[in-house]
Amino acid sequence: MAFLRRNEATEALGIGYQIPRNSLALLMIAQAVVVLPHAAHITPWIIAVGLICGYWRWMVFQGRWDYPQRWIKVLLVVASAIGVGASGKSAFSLETATGLLIVAFALKLVEMKSRRDAYLVIHLCYFIVAAEFLFDQSIGVAVYSVLSMVIVTAALVGLHQLHTRVRVSTSLRTAAVLVMQAMPLMLVLFLFFPRVAPLWSVPLPGGTRTGMTDHVAPGDIAALTRAYEIAFRAVFYGPMPPARALYWRGLVYSNFSQGTWSVGGVSAAPENAPVGAGARADFMPDVSDIEPVSYQILMEPTQASWLFGLDVALPVAHGTSLTRDFRLISAEPIHTMIRYRGVAYPDAPMDLQLPEWLRIRETRLPDDDNPRIIAFAKDLAANTDGNEAFLANVLQYIRTQPFFYTLNPPLLSNADSVDAFWFDSRRGFCSHFAGAFVYMARAVGIPARMVGGYQGGEVNPLTGHLVVRQCDAHAWTEVWLEGRGWVRFDPTAAVAPARIESGLNAALSEADRAVLSSVTGARFEGVPGLRDVVYLFESMQHRWNLWVVGYDTEVQARYLADLLGEVTPTRVGLAMLLGGGVSLALVVVSLFWRRRPMPDHPAQRMFRRFAERLVRSGLSRAPQETPAHFLARVNAARNRAPSDIAPLIDHLDSLLYNPDVVCTKDALRTLRSGLRRLQVDVALRARS
Amino acid sequence: MAVELSAFERSPRFNRWLDRRIPPSRSLTLSQQSIFIFPTITGFLFGGLIVLLILGAINYQNSLVYGVAFTLGSLFLVTILYTFRNLSGLTIELIAAGTGFVGEDVEFQVRMSRSKGKGREGIQLGWLGAIAQWAELYDTEACTVRLFVPAKARGWLDPGRLLIETQYPLGLLRAWTWVDLGARALVYPQPLFIDQPELIARRGEEGELMDPQGSDDFSDMRTYRPGDPVRHVIWRAYARTDQLVVKEYTSYLDPRLMLDYDRVAGGTEERLSRLTGMALNAARSGREFGLVLPGTKVRPGIGDPHRDSILRALALYGLPQA
Repeated sequence: MAFLRRNEATEALGIGYQIPRNSLALLMIAQAVVVLPHAAHITPWIIAVGLICGYWRWMVFQGRWDYPQRWIKVLLVVASAIGVGASGKSAFSLETATGLLIVAFALKLVEMKSRRDAYLVIHLCYFIVAAEFLFDQSIGVAVYSVLSMVIVTAALVGLHQLHTRVRVSTSLRTAAVLVMQAMPLMLVLFLFFPRVAPLWSVPLPGGTRTGMTDHVAPGDIAALTRAYEIAFRAVFYGPMPPARALYWRGLVYSNFSQGTWSVGGVSAAPENAPVGAGARADFMPDVSDIEPVSYQILMEPTQASWLFGLDVALPVAHGTSLTRDFRLISAEPIHTMIRYRGVAYPDAPMDLQLPEWLRIRETRLPDDDNPRIIAFAKDLAANTDGNEAFLANVLQYIRTQPFFYTLNPPLLSNADSVDAFWFDSRRGFCSHFAGAFVYMARAVGIPARMVGGYQGGEVNPLTGHLVVRQCDAHAWTEVWLEGRGWVRFDPTAAVAPARIESGLNAALSEADRAVLSSVTGARFEGVPGLRDVVYLFESMQHRWNLWVVGYDTEVQARYLADLLGEVTPTRVGLAMLLGGGVSLALVVVSLFWRRRPMPDHPAQRMFRRFAERLVRSGLSRAPQETPAHFLARVNAARNRAPSDIAPLIDHLDSLLYNPDVVCTKDALRTLRSGLRRLQVDVALRARS
Repeated sequence: MAVELSAFERSPRFNRWLDRRIPPSRSLTLSQQSIFIFPTITGFLFGGLIVLLILGAINYQNSLVYGVAFTLGSLFLVTILYTFRNLSGLTIELIAAGTGFVGEDVEFQVRMSRSKGKGREGIQLGWLGAIAQWAELYDTEACTVRLFVPAKARGWLDPGRLLIETQYPLGLLRAWTWVDLGARALVYPQPLFIDQPELIARRGEEGELMDPQGSDDFSDMRTYRPGDPVRHVIWRAYARTDQLVVKEYTSYLDPRLMLDYDRVAGGTEERLSRLTGMALNAARSGREFGLVLPGTKVRPGIGDPHRDSILRALALYGLPQA
């Protein structure tokens, strides 16, 4: 490294070098700012170690304490190691890695003395800012990260300013300008830099599971609906189906035991294995003459692999497949926001022929559970003719008997819970009604299963996309009927039709609604102004997800094709060079603009040229010489009396320095002729 | 931090190239012609961080990690312009070269001025082997930087090229230049103060001269002049005539010193050092003194310019004429 020869060894040892105080303050602020968003997913131990180190460093900064002794540092390292170990996360998980990074970072805080320490901390800061995006890529985190980067950069600027000059505000301003000037170039790189497939597999953020689960006990979904978080957003390519048709099917619960419904196991037979995108399987319906509904889903992470789609979904997106019970699943659990395209064939039949193994599975009930409802169902079936009539009777029963749809059903014991609901409490949420319905169908030998997912959603009027939240979680049923296949029955529609037509809020009693709004963002619903703000934020977040978070290989290829006509490496390279050049040119202009010399005064220009021409005659104007002085000297050189030149000097002086004298063409002409005569005289004398 | 050269910068080839590229001049305005720019170690680390982030972004398929990487990359590129601009358009001019004794630091004054526009920050200037000095032109358009170079040998001190460098604003890049301002400073021998009165007292052939400041013998009376010691006032005469009259005393000492190279002991440098010490003592006490060196003679005289010419003769004795 020929050019890197400075005597940095002494600096690195911290001898004689002190990080400027204000720069140090900025560094500490930067550290706190970048770690803050990570507080949500690192263990409290690490936060505690970080706070201790931060406080200690602050006391050192104020000159009250000394740097900690070695044993204290060892203690802190041990404490944080225990903390990371006790967090229960796997040793190779992303959370552990981030946690360790932040521990190292916090410990560096208490021994940050030299410039090299400061550089290390700053590089770590940038890294930690980026790491937060592995957990959350929302627009809010992005804005926060830009601010963090400005602060980190300000700390870096502070290290290179004169010690007496470093002030937090000037460093911050310089850093803000720098980051702003870097933005156009960043956008060019963001758009054109080729996005490639992952090079190797990496641990993905775990996080807590949200949303639907693969088993559902009565009451589970009711708890879910108190969460206002977004499950996914959907964009329809064509017209959106009506709200009552929006059954986002995600999970099929075939097994019942101990009061809990759970997803049926995957059959071992190869013909029943999930089918990947583009492939065909025998169980798939013929959809050749059905008009498909096409949409795109932007799904928030669930840590699970199931996807949601409208009936009847076929796998079209890369990495998705269709299970034997017509569910869409993803190859990998959803750890970060993903985007997939969905196609639904609304009235396509599912399983016109029901295989025997499936019939057995979908009619199975525990042997001696819920005897009263089995007797009730058999009794009802004996008095009706045909399966469809039986089901209609059940629904009619729900409609006419005093059943209540409520968020707060009474707790039921696991044993005989369906009986307890159907005959005693009669208060339940969607899963209670769906469960009882499936139970009764199976009791009389009709194949039936419970389906979980979301129902409805809210259209954002600004962008027209559909927002599906956790509070839209729903459970319904599918019953297999001869000649029709699996048919959707929603017992909730019988007890609370408003739930299906206009959403959960409309279907609830006043008391339930109050409970719901106290825990969720639904409280905004009554306030018109706030409602608009929520829509605005939501539409911004949606566009952000579409264009920034979701800017992947596929979207980039589409976008570049639109922009460049044809995507070739040459064209992309040229576009990147052109865009980068323009962005840097903007910076150059802003940096060097004020350097351009002021436009000359015409009289000044004339005089300067005169002086330049006289150099040839051996008379050069000294830098400190005033125009009057120089003219007097030139006059002396042609052997004339000073009075001869006085009028010209006066004229030039007034043109140059008197703000009241207007520089007219006549005045300039007089000046030019005077100077020319002088020049000619001097040239003649020089020759003679 | 003392300014040091890399092996590359020490090579004669580089220096010949540098002489062509940045010819010696008392005043120089920095431009593309004269400014070099290259990443620092921190800059390379920063590049490594960017590569790491891009790898992370690829493997996690995370758009916003790409965003962070690209922001840092753009910052790096924008910083090239900042660092270059921080030196570009600066005018460096040597305005004064001081003098000093061997073992001391000699002062050079360099004037740094900038074109109009934004200020310059975090600039370091330093001669080779000397401590670099921080400077900035933020609110002002010109400043004078005092630079000190350790004087190691007597004679003309040529500090060589002046390093001007900056790592502003982020320390990722270093822009620098080596300018040859043609600076040279005169370094006097290191003075040796050894009292050798017998060598100083001179029994000259030019007759005895009187030291008017002496107080050995009464010689005359005259009217009082401001500054005369009060104890010399003849108060009786004052009482009588109302006039202040003072007695004048004279010491019969020859005040003219001739510092003679041949009459001091030691090798050449030691002799010069002793003579320098004597010259300084003599000058401080205000005595008239001269210097005899083999082949050179400086006639006795007083005053700072005289002292300087004596010291100059001592400094350059025996050295090839520059």
